[in-house]
Amino acid sequence: MQFLSRYGRTDWFGPLLVTILAAIIVGSLSPSFLSAFNIQVLLLAVAINALVAYSQMIIIAIGEMNLSVGAIGGLAAISFAGMMQVWHMPILPAALLGILIGLLGGIINGVIISLTGISAFVITLASLSIYKGINLGITEAQPFYGIPNLVKHLGNAPFLGPLPWLIIPTAIVGFGLWLMLTRLPIGRCILAVGGNRHAAELSGISIRLTVIVAHALSGAIAALAGILLCARLQIGQPTIGDDWLILSFAAPVIGGAVLTGGHVSVGATTLGVVIVAIITEALVLFNIDPFLVQVVLGVLILWAVGINRLREFRLKPLRRA
Amino acid sequence: MAEFLFEALGISKSFPGVMALQDVSLQMREASIHALLGENGAGKSTLIKIITGIHRPDAGELRLAGTPIELTSPRDAMAKRIGVVHQERNLIPRFSVGENIYLEQLAGRPLKPLRYPELYRQSRKWLDLLDLDVDPATPVSRLSVAKMQLVEIAKALALDSRVLLLDEPTASLTPHETVTLFKVLKRLRDDGVSMLFVSHKLEEVGELCDQVTVLRDGRNAAHSQPLQGLGRQDLVQLMIGRKEQIADWPARNFAAATPALALKGVSTILGHRDIDLTVKRGEILGLYGLVGAGRTELAKCIIGQFAVTEGSVEIQGKAVKIASVADAIHRHGIGYVSEDRKAEGLILMHSVLANAGITVWRNLGHHGLPLTDGRIRSRIEPFVRRLEVRTPSLAQLVGNLSGGNQQKISVAKWLAAGVKVLIVDEPSVGIDIKTKAYLHELLRELSDTGTAVLVITSDMPEMITLADRIAVMNDYRIEGTITNTRDYEEMSSRIMSLIHRVEAA
Repeated sequence: MQFLSRYGRTDWFGPLLVTILAAIIVGSLSPSFLSAFNIQVLLLAVAINALVAYSQMIIIAIGEMNLSVGAIGGLAAISFAGMMQVWHMPILPAALLGILIGLLGGIINGVIISLTGISAFVITLASLSIYKGINLGITEAQPFYGIPNLVKHLGNAPFLGPLPWLIIPTAIVGFGLWLMLTRLPIGRCILAVGGNRHAAELSGISIRLTVIVAHALSGAIAALAGILLCARLQIGQPTIGDDWLILSFAAPVIGGAVLTGGHVSVGATTLGVVIVAIITEALVLFNIDPFLVQVVLGVLILWAVGINRLREFRLKPLRRA
Repeated sequence: MAEFLFEALGISKSFPGVMALQDVSLQMREASIHALLGENGAGKSTLIKIITGIHRPDAGELRLAGTPIELTSPRDAMAKRIGVVHQERNLIPRFSVGENIYLEQLAGRPLKPLRYPELYRQSRKWLDLLDLDVDPATPVSRLSVAKMQLVEIAKALALDSRVLLLDEPTASLTPHETVTLFKVLKRLRDDGVSMLFVSHKLEEVGELCDQVTVLRDGRNAAHSQPLQGLGRQDLVQLMIGRKEQIADWPARNFAAATPALALKGVSTILGHRDIDLTVKRGEILGLYGLVGAGRTELAKCIIGQFAVTEGSVEIQGKAVKIASVADAIHRHGIGYVSEDRKAEGLILMHSVLANAGITVWRNLGHHGLPLTDGRIRSRIEPFVRRLEVRTPSLAQLVGNLSGGNQQKISVAKWLAAGVKVLIVDEPSVGIDIKTKAYLHELLRELSDTGTAVLVITSDMPEMITLADRIAVMNDYRIEGTITNTRDYEEMSSRIMSLIHRVEAA
């Protein structure tokens, strides 16, 4: 029992339990779920969605929200594809430039938010519209098809067993974020600003810089997600990113993130992504209408918020120890 | 070496609509403790914010060891080894004690990896210095208010400050913890640190400090004088510009009065245990305690915001269950004037009419009639007038009024609601002396008309002025209830001994 209550307090324990349970249940009902091919498909989805979730998570950490993650990801994706098709740019510079565009989009968000003091909700709502508009202006809503074969290969093929190449950049980013949020002062500053902005300021932390750094990271990660998705889909689809918003909040929340800021968990957020992926996958395997995914996702968010609330409440009596 | 380690000379600062400081000076010596006194709103906090680089002065000069300095941010002040313990909470709740202590240093080196064992080992030193027995790895949110306060002091000490500003550091400490803190401060003084000590507790100031600066209405009432030779009465006179007056109101007898609100063996979800408390009709009961004793929390349980888990609550002699705040107001006639009027009491961007009328909307709307301004006005105008709220019109935004007038409106809305029991939490925070005295008379008058009043305050003179009886709360329990004789010395020592008793046990 003591074991349960100790681990019950961590962020990753609940989601891990759900992940294992979901895998066992779905796996026993549909044996093909645990096939190598299916695991590969699952990991491809996780690789991209985890980045989407991280890009929102870092903004949740400072107690704000970024509605433009999808628009930034989409813009980076079509830029990546467009530069390769139209300008015949090599893969690596195109990818780096794509990420740079995302970084810039994030910095613009961060600078405007911290200079004006207007809420991130409004600013990113506006920039969502602007970035998406630029995307549509460039593409005229037509996809870029000129994706090199190597990119198509990397976007789908495994490098070892069922492990796809795409999982590598995601793992690096995830590890980097974990390191930053737990071990590097800049990460701690991000959490401090989210935890108590006033106190952080009085402790000599530059709120402005911290907010800009968080948004810059968010933009760069969203751009990376867009580029990976472009590789996975094998075309530079202008609609990339349109449906990211709900997931970007759902996974961190399932992972115990506090929406007012100051507390996020990279591991638990990743598990949140895995849970969503398993459920989506299960609905496909059981031939259930894929539109139901949205409903399930909504229920999942409510469930996760409820659990978080319950855990907060259980922690409270310790306050006066 | 200059004579003074730190000087603020001729400082002026104004905010839109308010002249916060006007030609204020302060000179701090090395190895000494300097008291900064003044009433709420006298400008102490503004001065501290200027000294720590949060605000910039409009005029005047800061000098460190004789050299003029410019401070543009808190970081600047820290770099010059000016440390501060702010009045408001200044910790990151989910971070560990050790990390909070070193947060300032962390901010300066954004990419240098943290080594927690090392960090915790170093923070141990500061915790030991304060006799604070907590594990540096504990999250701050698990600590008591008093321990948080000590962690904040450790945080300031860890900056190795030459100039250390302490803004009411003892507000939430028990007498025992205060004694420990004073030992530490005296040791720091002997090491050469120059400290500025802000407190409302004049006894503490007399015990600890060497010099004193007093602010009144944003000006110097005294400027860096030796404290020796100044008695409590002298200090009070400097602070308020006249002698301290405990209003000489005749004692009232409530032996025959019926209880309006009675708590019997009440425990609450917030942690109160065995609370027995009775407020009779027409009586003012004071609830005294240190910050964090659980007084505001008790008030919030009485008005139904948090649940009562055991015992009974009786209104006018009948046991009741108060399920919600709406229930408390409309069915049981209990009103609550919050201590935080800006955040909890008033809607600053709404008009006087909307604020004072908020409690009568439901009642006025009962018969399906539309809520017109005229109908609301007719209900609240008598009260707004009776309280002499100074406002150009009822359409004025509350945010544009002075603190005292805002407070009157938070009282007026309950009068309009016709409450039988009024709970007033820290009624005079941020309002001037004159309004305060007026507010006291008002509460007294209100009780004379039969309203039962429960006053929560940490201001001892206010408590002794207002209360008929005083209940003392400590650590979410009632330690005792005493009848107020309005003799300041006697009452304050009896109240402190009730809090002490627990400490000694």
